[in-house]
Amino acid sequence: MTRRGAARAVVPGAALLAALAAPWLAPRPPGLQEDPAGARLLPPLTRAAAIPIGEHSTWIVRSLERTREGWTFVRAGRPGFLPHERIAGPPEARFYLLGTDALGRDLASRLPYALRHSGGVAALAVALALVIGIAVGAGAAFGGRIWDAALMRSVDVLMSIPRLLLFLICATLLGPSTLLLILVLGATTWTGLARVARAQLMALRTSDLALAARAVGPSFARLLVGHLLPQIAPVIAVTAALRFADTILLESGLAFLGLGSPPPAVSLGGMIAAGREALSEAWWVAAWPGLAIAALVVALRSMTAGLLRVNDPPSLQ
Amino acid sequence: MIGFAVRRIISALPLVVGVLTLVFLLVQLVPGDPFRRAEGPDVSREAADRLGEAFGTDRPLPERYLSWLANFLGGDLGTSYSLRRPVTVLLKEAIGNTMLLAGLAIALQFLLGTGAGIAAARLHGSAIDRAVGGAAGILYALPSYWLGLLLTWTLSVRLGWLPASQMHAIDAHDFGPLQRALDALRHLVLPCLSLALPAAGGIALYVRDEMRAALGRGFVQGVRARGVGEAGVILRHGLSNALLPVVNLLGLALPGLVGGSVVIEVLFAWPGMGRLAYQAVLAQDEPLVLGCVWIASLMVIGGNLLADLLSAALDPRVREVVS
Repeated sequence: MTRRGAARAVVPGAALLAALAAPWLAPRPPGLQEDPAGARLLPPLTRAAAIPIGEHSTWIVRSLERTREGWTFVRAGRPGFLPHERIAGPPEARFYLLGTDALGRDLASRLPYALRHSGGVAALAVALALVIGIAVGAGAAFGGRIWDAALMRSVDVLMSIPRLLLFLICATLLGPSTLLLILVLGATTWTGLARVARAQLMALRTSDLALAARAVGPSFARLLVGHLLPQIAPVIAVTAALRFADTILLESGLAFLGLGSPPPAVSLGGMIAAGREALSEAWWVAAWPGLAIAALVVALRSMTAGLLRVNDPPSLQ
Repeated sequence: MIGFAVRRIISALPLVVGVLTLVFLLVQLVPGDPFRRAEGPDVSREAADRLGEAFGTDRPLPERYLSWLANFLGGDLGTSYSLRRPVTVLLKEAIGNTMLLAGLAIALQFLLGTGAGIAAARLHGSAIDRAVGGAAGILYALPSYWLGLLLTWTLSVRLGWLPASQMHAIDAHDFGPLQRALDALRHLVLPCLSLALPAAGGIALYVRDEMRAALGRGFVQGVRARGVGEAGVILRHGLSNALLPVVNLLGLALPGLVGGSVVIEVLFAWPGMGRLAYQAVLAQDEPLVLGCVWIASLMVIGGNLLADLLSAALDPRVREVVS
C-alpha cells in the first residue's frame, strides 16, 4: 500500500524537480533562436551542429563534414558549403532530444520552463483559493444562518458561470498578465474548496473535540487554525490537489487561446498553441507539452485516490 | 414530485438574478466608455459621443442596469457594438450550432462512459477492467484541445479522411439537403470526439466504481438468488442504482462542457456560442459578451436543475430529503 503510494508520487515529484531545476536541466535558454531558418522544425533526436559565423550569428546544420577547403553540410534541407575562413570558431555538436519549434527553439529547453511556469501559476492560484475557500467556509459554518445563506448563495452564483468565460471577461478588463492570471484562477477556484471546508467544519462544530478545545477559551482564530483545521487538513489537501490538476488544465486552455501569460513566459498551453500552427509539418511541437499535462494530471489524480484510501480504510476494497 | 419541481425551480430564480447582476457589474469594470476608447484619428470626439448616446453608454450605472434588466426580461439583449446587429439574432444563429455539438458530445460521452464502465465493473479484475481503467484515466486527463490536435493530425492531416475545421465545406450551398447534412456531419466528428472523449473517460471511471459498489451490495445477491438473469441484474438493478450519481455528475460537468466548448469551437472554427463569446471578448463588445455569458450561465443553471429533477424522478429519497 505505502509502496504503491510512493510509486504514485513519482511523476508529480519528477515534475516538481524538473520545474525547480529548469535552469540546470535546460541545455539552452528557453527563448534562444540561434538560427530560425536552419533549426526550424527539426524532428526529435536530431543530431546537428552549430557553426559560429561572424560575431553574433550561428548556423544550425546537419550532416556536417570537413573537407580540405572548408565544411559541407545540409542546412534547412539544402546542401551548403563554407570555406574555413568564413567560420569564426570550431563547430559545436547540438543534440535536440525533443526537436525544435517553428522558430528554431529547442523544445527540450522550453519544456522544463513551461512546466515551471504553468505549475507555478497553478500552485499560487490554488494557494490563493485555499485561503479564500477556508475563510469563506469557516465564515459560513460559524457565522450563523444569515452569513451561511449569503455566502453559500454567492458560491452558487459564481459556480453557475463557466470559469473560462469568467476569465475571458477579466482578461479583457485588464489585459493579459501573469498576476491577473493567478488572481482570476484563484478567485474562480475557491468555490469548491469553500463548500468542502464548510461541510467539514459544520460536522466538526458540535463535536466533542471542538467543545473541549473551546473549554480552554482560545480565540476563534486559534480554535480554527490550531484545533479544527488540522482535523480537516487531509480532506482539504486532497481537494486542493484535484483543483491543482484542474487548474493546470484550465491554465493551459487559456494560454492556448492566447490569453495566458504574455510572450516571454513559456507555458504548456502556449507551447501547444505554437504546435497547432506547425501541425501540418511537425507533430512533435504540440505533442510533448500535451503529454506532460496528461502525465501530470493522471499522476495527481491517482495520488489523491491513494491518499483518500489511506485516510479512509473502509473504501480499500 | 410536482411540488418538489416547483420548489426547486423557484429556488433557482435568485441564482438567475445573481448571475445576471454579477456579469453586468463585471463587464462594467472595463475602464472608460467603450466608445471613448475607440476615439482616435479615425473616430472624432463628436462621433464617439454620438455613438455613446446611440448605444446609451453615457448614462449612469444604476440607470443602465435597470434598463438593461428591463429590456432583458422583455427579450431584448441590445445591439452588438462590433457587429452592429441585434445580440438576440447573433445568439440565435450560434446557439443551435453549439447545442448540436454539445448535445451530441453529451450523448456520446454518456453512452461510451456508461458502456465501458459497466463492462469494467462486470469483469472486475480482468484485463478488460484494467484496460478500461487505464484508458479512461488517461482520456480524462487530456486537455480537450490537445486531443483535438491529435485527432486532427491523424485523421485530417495524415489520413485526409475528415475536414479539420469549419462547419460546412466552402461549396456547401450548391449541395442538396442530404449532401449538406452529410457534409455537416463530417465536420462534426472531430470537435465532437475531442469534447466527448475526455468526459467519457471521467464517466467511465465513475460508473465503474458505482456499479462495482452496487453489484457488491446484498440486494443484488437476493436478486440473483431469485433467478433473475445476468442482463436483468446488471441493467435493471445495478444500473438503476449506479446511474443516480452519474446524472448528478452530468449536471456538475456542464460548466466544464460549456467552457470547454469555447476552446474546441475556436480550435475547429465552429460557428457556435463559445467562439462568438471569444470574438466578443476580443472586440470588447459589451452587449454581446453579456448575452453570451448570460446564456451560457442559464444553460448551466438549467442543466443543474434538470439533473436535480431527473435524480428526484429516479430516486424517491431525494424528494424526501429536500421537502
